[in-house]
Amino acid sequence: MRNPLTVLKRRLSEHREVRTDGGTTSAGSILDRDSVRSAPFWLPPFLLIGLFIYGAIAWNIVLSLTDFQGLGSPDYSALDFENYVVAFFGGTPSWSELTVSPIWNSAWNTVVLMVSFSVVCLALGLVLAILVDQEIRFENTFRTIYLLPMSLSFVVTAKFWLYMYNVETGLVNLFLGAVGVGPVEIVQNPDLKLAAVAFALIWQFSGYAMIVYLAGLRAIPTSHFEAARVDGASTLRMYWRVIIPQLRTATVSALVVLTVFSLKAFDFLFSMYGGYQPGPSADILATRMVREAYSNGNWAYGSAIAVILFIMALAIVTPYIYSQYKRGEL
Amino acid sequence: MLIYPMIINVGHGHLLSYCITAKIGRFRADTHGDNLMTDKSTKLSRRTVLTTTGAAAVTGLAGCTGGDEGSGGSNGNGSGGANELELLHAWSSGDGNAAIAALIEGFQEEHPDVEFAEEPVDGAARSNLDQVVLNKLQANDPPSTFQLWPGKNLAKFDGAYEDIEDDVWTDDLKENYLAGPQEQAQYNGSYVSVPLNIHRINNLFYNTAVLEEAGVDPASLSSASDVVSACETIAAETDAVPFAHQTSGTWSTVQLWETILLGQAGIDGYEAFINGNGDAGQVQTALESVVELSEYYPGDSSSITFTEANTMVMDGDAAFIHQGDWAAGAYSNADGFNYGEDWGQVTYPGTSGSYLLNMDSFPFMANNPSPEATRQFLSYCGTAEGQVRFNAEKGSIPPRSDADVSALNQFQQDQFEDFNAADNQPPSVEHGLAVSPAVKTNISDAFSSFLENYDAAATADALIGASN
Repeated sequence: MRNPLTVLKRRLSEHREVRTDGGTTSAGSILDRDSVRSAPFWLPPFLLIGLFIYGAIAWNIVLSLTDFQGLGSPDYSALDFENYVVAFFGGTPSWSELTVSPIWNSAWNTVVLMVSFSVVCLALGLVLAILVDQEIRFENTFRTIYLLPMSLSFVVTAKFWLYMYNVETGLVNLFLGAVGVGPVEIVQNPDLKLAAVAFALIWQFSGYAMIVYLAGLRAIPTSHFEAARVDGASTLRMYWRVIIPQLRTATVSALVVLTVFSLKAFDFLFSMYGGYQPGPSADILATRMVREAYSNGNWAYGSAIAVILFIMALAIVTPYIYSQYKRGEL
Repeated sequence: MLIYPMIINVGHGHLLSYCITAKIGRFRADTHGDNLMTDKSTKLSRRTVLTTTGAAAVTGLAGCTGGDEGSGGSNGNGSGGANELELLHAWSSGDGNAAIAALIEGFQEEHPDVEFAEEPVDGAARSNLDQVVLNKLQANDPPSTFQLWPGKNLAKFDGAYEDIEDDVWTDDLKENYLAGPQEQAQYNGSYVSVPLNIHRINNLFYNTAVLEEAGVDPASLSSASDVVSACETIAAETDAVPFAHQTSGTWSTVQLWETILLGQAGIDGYEAFINGNGDAGQVQTALESVVELSEYYPGDSSSITFTEANTMVMDGDAAFIHQGDWAAGAYSNADGFNYGEDWGQVTYPGTSGSYLLNMDSFPFMANNPSPEATRQFLSYCGTAEGQVRFNAEKGSIPPRSDADVSALNQFQQDQFEDFNAADNQPPSVEHGLAVSPAVKTNISDAFSSFLENYDAAATADALIGASN
């Protein structure tokens, strides 16, 4: 009697494809495939990532469809989209006696923060990178100085800028005073709050954009610069028409990282405003989510906000990944 | 080529950029080299990978949900002997840490057989502690007891307590706790926790020298508007800031407003508000008083913390501060800043007869890992001796009206006298006793908006709407 395993192995090995030139492919048994043979190396990390990242995301999505609130276990038998209806239109959900306001305000703030922060950061990073790229002296020193803020945690930056924005002793107001603009309330000023947060984040992360652009600039062969010069292009024209278009990849990659950072500005707001309450004009989805989940115990509703935030992040990352895929760079 | 590692390493952005810095020299020469990644075999295995990932996600999900139901059976009778008492608290440093150590030491003198698995939850933030407890309860592994604001805040762990009226809340406790604290120890009518200490919210602290310079007599103030006129005098007569206050976070302003509301609307108006039947007019009037006072805040109130505001009073840079009596803890620790001489305290003008409560308590958790030891410990927390030990270090006062407070400092003794003489002991809104956690979040939301625009009418609407 033949061993069933041997039979199986033989069956698997029998599968051959006829190539166009009449021969057969060299593929042997499935067990001989590269992907299978290398499984001990890639499988464990993939299972771990699958479980703890994608598994957690999937669980969170399911959780957002429940009515889970307070203590106990979520009830997975009755799933519905009530939390999303509440998130978009407000109202009194079945799991609460209180009216819950919709998330538009914090969603809008999130988008404003994301766009203003990323765009300014990129522009500033590009200018810095071009300047640093001019073969200046102490280039390494400048590079380090510009990059250093990024090594600070959000908590440190928030406390630092809280001090900088101080109406009476802060450097920002001293500077404004020197140019004749009277002391301005910044931290609790509804018109400036979000801008102040964005400004501090730009200070922290434009160095990162600079580094990415610098790497991009260095990857452009010197001949491109020389050719543009020979053709009589001015410096401005040379960068605008020849160099910057080649920085597309660098721009997109920096943009993705920066937008993801701006979605995570929670720690900054938490430290600056001493809690989950930055106030309506600086409230972002992340702070709203934490308030719902951890102050109120509305786990399912907090999960729904998390999913919305996740979709926003995905909406930014997906086109990028897709374009990379199309260009064969992934 | 360059982009690939950056996406993966979003979380460690800064570390990574250093790698990039180091590599810049090499990138200058290396313009191409992406072909490797587009190899057909790589693509093929990527599909395999995606499938596997999907499968893993499903498995993970199943694992998680399955685990949840499975843990129900274990009943959380975890490690340690039956007598090991798991006490969670956030008093990980300073006076709080000394206080809990003194309490445990006193308890162990009487019950040397009880072991403590004491775990200060770091970060000193109460919200962090609540989170740890929530996680433990979700995993069906409750602690024996933990530091918790009682009152309506007990709703946060609804259903996780056990009644201790028969074992701990003896007639001795019921006779010696005043009505206010006793009510806060109950949840839905049953005794589930033992209050350990009381901080008072309706205080007005002052720097004596500054008030003398301005010619203001604190004892003569009798309403919230008197405080405003006193501030006006101080602003005119001295260089000091009349009213030290921080506005970067909402909590100080909520405290101030609730104190003024208590003074203006009286105990009935205050209780109506916390029960969800508040009068919009009264709420708005109290907010308008806060707006008037805000004229006398430090110019940089939005950039400072409570500690800095309090230091202004100690340094003679500010005249008044409204705070809970933990502010006095800083004064007691300062050299040459003495109670009665350099600083003083009056009941916030308008609220005489009330002792606005902020308390910590220890609840008895159902499914208790050490039921007998926990009952013994909670009973000890209910004794005058245990409470005096704790509060001597903490700077608050014992909830038992029969406690012998001669071991406490003069300020605490005076507060204790006020406490025993008070007509009522209403619970604080900001400190979780008066309203459920979700309503408190709505109130904080309303105040985060108030701090931006000081719009009393809109905030009053939001506050009235906070409980429905």
